[in-house]
Amino acid sequence: MSTPPPFDPELAAALAVIGEQLPPALTPEMVAELRLGGSMAPVSDDDLRRDGRFTVEERSVPGLDGDPDVSLLICRPVHATGTLGCVYHTHGGGMILGDSRAGVAEMLDWAERFGLVVVSVEYRLAPETPHPGPVNDCWAGLVWTAEHADELGFDPGRLIVAGASAGGGLAAALALMARDRNGPALLGQMLIYPMIDDRNDTPSAVQMAGRGVWDRTSNATGWGALLGAAVGGPDVSPYAAPARATDLSNLPPAFIDVASAETFRDEDVAYASRIWQAGGVAELHVWPGGFHGFDGMVPSAAISQEARAARVRWLSRLFAA
Amino acid sequence: MKDLVVRLAALDANASAAVQVIAYFDGLVEAGAGLPSIVRGAAVLAGCPARLDDDGRRVHIRMLPDGVPAPAPGAADPSWPQAGAGTAELRLERTGGPGPVDAMVLERAASAARAVLDRTRGRGPAAADDALMELLVDADAPVDARSRAGRQLGLVTAYATVLASGEIRVHPTGPAPPAGRTPSGAGTPPAGRAGIGPDVPVLELPVSYAAARTALRFTAAGTDDDPGERVVRHDELGALAVLAEVPEPGAVPDVRRLEQAAAAAPWLLRTVHAVAGTNSLRAAATALRLHHSSLQDRVAHAEHLLGWSLHEPHGRLRVQLALTLRRLHRNPRPDQRAS
Repeated sequence: MSTPPPFDPELAAALAVIGEQLPPALTPEMVAELRLGGSMAPVSDDDLRRDGRFTVEERSVPGLDGDPDVSLLICRPVHATGTLGCVYHTHGGGMILGDSRAGVAEMLDWAERFGLVVVSVEYRLAPETPHPGPVNDCWAGLVWTAEHADELGFDPGRLIVAGASAGGGLAAALALMARDRNGPALLGQMLIYPMIDDRNDTPSAVQMAGRGVWDRTSNATGWGALLGAAVGGPDVSPYAAPARATDLSNLPPAFIDVASAETFRDEDVAYASRIWQAGGVAELHVWPGGFHGFDGMVPSAAISQEARAARVRWLSRLFAA
Repeated sequence: MKDLVVRLAALDANASAAVQVIAYFDGLVEAGAGLPSIVRGAAVLAGCPARLDDDGRRVHIRMLPDGVPAPAPGAADPSWPQAGAGTAELRLERTGGPGPVDAMVLERAASAARAVLDRTRGRGPAAADDALMELLVDADAPVDARSRAGRQLGLVTAYATVLASGEIRVHPTGPAPPAGRTPSGAGTPPAGRAGIGPDVPVLELPVSYAAARTALRFTAAGTDDDPGERVVRHDELGALAVLAEVPEPGAVPDVRRLEQAAAAAPWLLRTVHAVAGTNSLRAAATALRLHHSSLQDRVAHAEHLLGWSLHEPHGRLRVQLALTLRRLHRNPRPDQRAS
């Protein structure tokens, strides 16, 4: 495969530090240790409350079709005025790691800016819970959230789904399910470098093997945990891997961003292209020299600030409409 | 894996912090990062605002600990920890004693900044000087803009120099400009060919520049093939400057004769240049490092090839004019260069 794109200078320097703690290639044997390890930054209730600007609550809601209850983390802005919206968040972690508090900080930033209720779902993880368990948990939480818009205090016409990495794939799947099942209505889908293709064979996946963050081996670990023997085969559901969807028409407006030096580059660019080909609305940003999750791991880098600002600008247009 | 958050800001004073600081700045230098990235790195790793100031180059960069650029709100506090980076000063805006990794951050960031300043010397801030100089010599630029540029460079009176590359330099004259305000390259004599304009008040620099460009056409490479002065002052051309107006200097018959003679005898151009430009054949022989009788043989040969005498003042004037017109032909005006 051809030479991979170089990393952005600031990100390359940070990667030299991060790489010591986070190898590019995660194998199934490493999952247990990673779940225990301190590399996941713990998020406390105090962190979420932001000096009293949010109320924090965890609600158990019914799972889908007799599945166990699903826990939703609900953060409501205390001082917001006017009509609230809601961001329904599916966290990242390759389908095998993370919890409902991971990645919520950026959701809270948006919530303060745009007046949003943040709902983040504690879906069950693979490999203990293979497909369709995780996405069904997410779906059950989304349906409950939309049905309880009045109680939560938001306008159901201002509900978006958002997630990064595996959470971006889950958010994309929720948009497909909502279309196919006639609701809930979604105003938009924010797909942050989403993990959407279990085939794991795009040029960027091959090109970036062994480099950066979440390389092809890590991706195989995540997809293998979720799909088992079915991974890469003919019968994978688009609700597990949205890139498998043959019809991308009639979806809510999508924001998709991805970095040029990561596994997901080509599958995410293709997803945006296919939405346009289907007559849909999508905004695509490809950040040069970024690795997977660059803005979260190196938020101070110039390119990270730009990536995050682009999301805010899209939300600003979306909620202003 | 966005959620495996490893924030650089979480560095503390443990043993690996120093290693990580070194790795971080080494990585920046290796990847060719610019000064803003280095100052940002210092701010993020130290957890306080960081700034890099180079008054001479007019470089001022300030970053907050979250990596956001913020212009300096005021003068630097002398009590802040700081480190020199060549002509620049890197400072951490921290009062009440240095933080645990400050010393390491300062040292590595200053070293990285110095590397960038070395790499970009004459490009960053000097490019700004170049722009100001081009403005100063541009007759079409507004007077107030030229006046402001002159003040920025600390100029009252000055003269313009044009190098063969087209590079423009403006040299201050009169009272010395304030320290650190001298335009880049002002003090160094040009290495190659250069035309020099007259000393003028700063607002008349376009005139000095036009004269310098004319003077450049009278310069020569100083080689056997192109003998003559490499640096020419327009002031010293006198009436010869009028020759610059000749439309096709290469078509003048004496120039053609000179070219034909030079083609027949490779030593000819340098020889007649020396003979026409000195007071005696003896002086010319010394300049050419030739024996007097050898030079006499050459002069006879040259007179034969040219068809006029070199022993008479009139004949030497014809040679000087032919050599000068030949240079003007070889250094055409920009608008004639294509033909």
